[in-house]
Amino acid sequence: MKRLFVITFLAGLFVVALTTTFWPLPTHVRYRSLITVLPDGGRQEDFIIRWPEDRIRLPSEDPTSLPATASIGVAVLEDSAGRRTSAELFRLRDTDDNVIGVASRLAGTGGAIADPGRSASNWLLVIPSRGALFLAQTDVLDTTVRGEITAAGAVAVAPAQTAAFWADRQRLRVTATAPATTGAATTGKVLRGTSEFAGLEGSFTETWDLDEVNADGSTRGRIQLTTFTAAGT
Amino acid sequence: MRALVGVLGLVLGILVGACLVLANPLAWIRGLPPLSAEIAPAKAYRWEEYRGIEAGAAALLGVGRQDRELALMDPALRHLGIGIVVLPAGEGAPAALAVKMSATAEENSLWRAQLGRDDYWNIFWPGEGSVFASSYSNYWAVMRDGLFSALRGRDQGSVATAYPVSAPSPVGNTAGVAGASGRYAGFTGEIREVLYPAAPDAKRADPDWAIAIKANPPPVVTR
Repeated sequence: MKRLFVITFLAGLFVVALTTTFWPLPTHVRYRSLITVLPDGGRQEDFIIRWPEDRIRLPSEDPTSLPATASIGVAVLEDSAGRRTSAELFRLRDTDDNVIGVASRLAGTGGAIADPGRSASNWLLVIPSRGALFLAQTDVLDTTVRGEITAAGAVAVAPAQTAAFWADRQRLRVTATAPATTGAATTGKVLRGTSEFAGLEGSFTETWDLDEVNADGSTRGRIQLTTFTAAGT
Repeated sequence: MRALVGVLGLVLGILVGACLVLANPLAWIRGLPPLSAEIAPAKAYRWEEYRGIEAGAAALLGVGRQDRELALMDPALRHLGIGIVVLPAGEGAPAALAVKMSATAEENSLWRAQLGRDDYWNIFWPGEGSVFASSYSNYWAVMRDGLFSALRGRDQGSVATAYPVSAPSPVGNTAGVAGASGRYAGFTGEIREVLYPAAPDAKRADPDWAIAIKANPPPVVTR
């Protein structure tokens, strides 16, 4: 009887050891990385975001009760001096249109951040199977999302999602070609990466492309982030 | 009688084995030291406006069902959480708008007491500047104490009031702060996070959090 107890006790320990070793811990789905190797060294990778469908709705939001031009997955913070910061959440796609990760765009105006009439923005790209990329730039204009009071209550309105913004253009390169004179923001810079992107540095450009203006005054379009990176020194 | 002894031995073996795995001493020695409260005061926040997985042991172990209202259904986003956070003003700093993203770490290992997530932050202070931060949070101690508490009939004595979850990343040095714009451009530093479990009688099950960031300006280069 004592021997049986010892054997089954050891069997119990063995079961735990097996479970601990072979427990199927979560792993991320990975799509093939679509990278172009550039002739002069480095690599180019493009990321696509479609608006409005790639915006990530927050739990408290009900899109059906919002005006057509309102943006979901957005927060706006403005101080008493009128310096505004906005945050937007998106799904992130590769050039084959696969959703490969998530992205956030934080943009701010005023003070030490940007010249009057312009904003500085940050992109945080997270591809769970590969790591994260941190991007920072000065924008050619103020791209922050505005908070507006409408009949439906307080809503967030992203400039690119309104027809008026596209009155005289179909495409806009958001990344400024020169840094802001205010503050130390550089433009179109890949600051750092983690995991698979660790050690990479370089530049990027953000471009907005209009696909369609709807009858209700809202728009559909694409944000393209083109990154050029190489191993840092 | 023989069957009873056999089952008893097996159950006891499983219990002892599970306790040995949970009590892995690596979980105690692998944390990061806290930052000085004078240099990097902690900012309390609530991560309520998020989508994707919760910060619980079930999500990290890949068991249990996700809340369909919160879940991100795209295959590549199943083990990820994303949300917007407002960090309160105080200690000379204005309120900040932030985005936090957390992805289940693929390097998790039950043998090494690693049950964590890779966290990514972008924090923007209106008119001041912005920083990025990345860190690894290990929830092993949270899971261990939660399990022991459940085994002892929801005994709150087993659960700590605060868990400093920041730990060295299993894949090496990918953690840290990177200044992005405004007066924080070029800054580098460290980040720590603390989780405060919700009380069992609390109306909301989500934990409270605190974040502390220490960032230094880039070194002055003389010509």
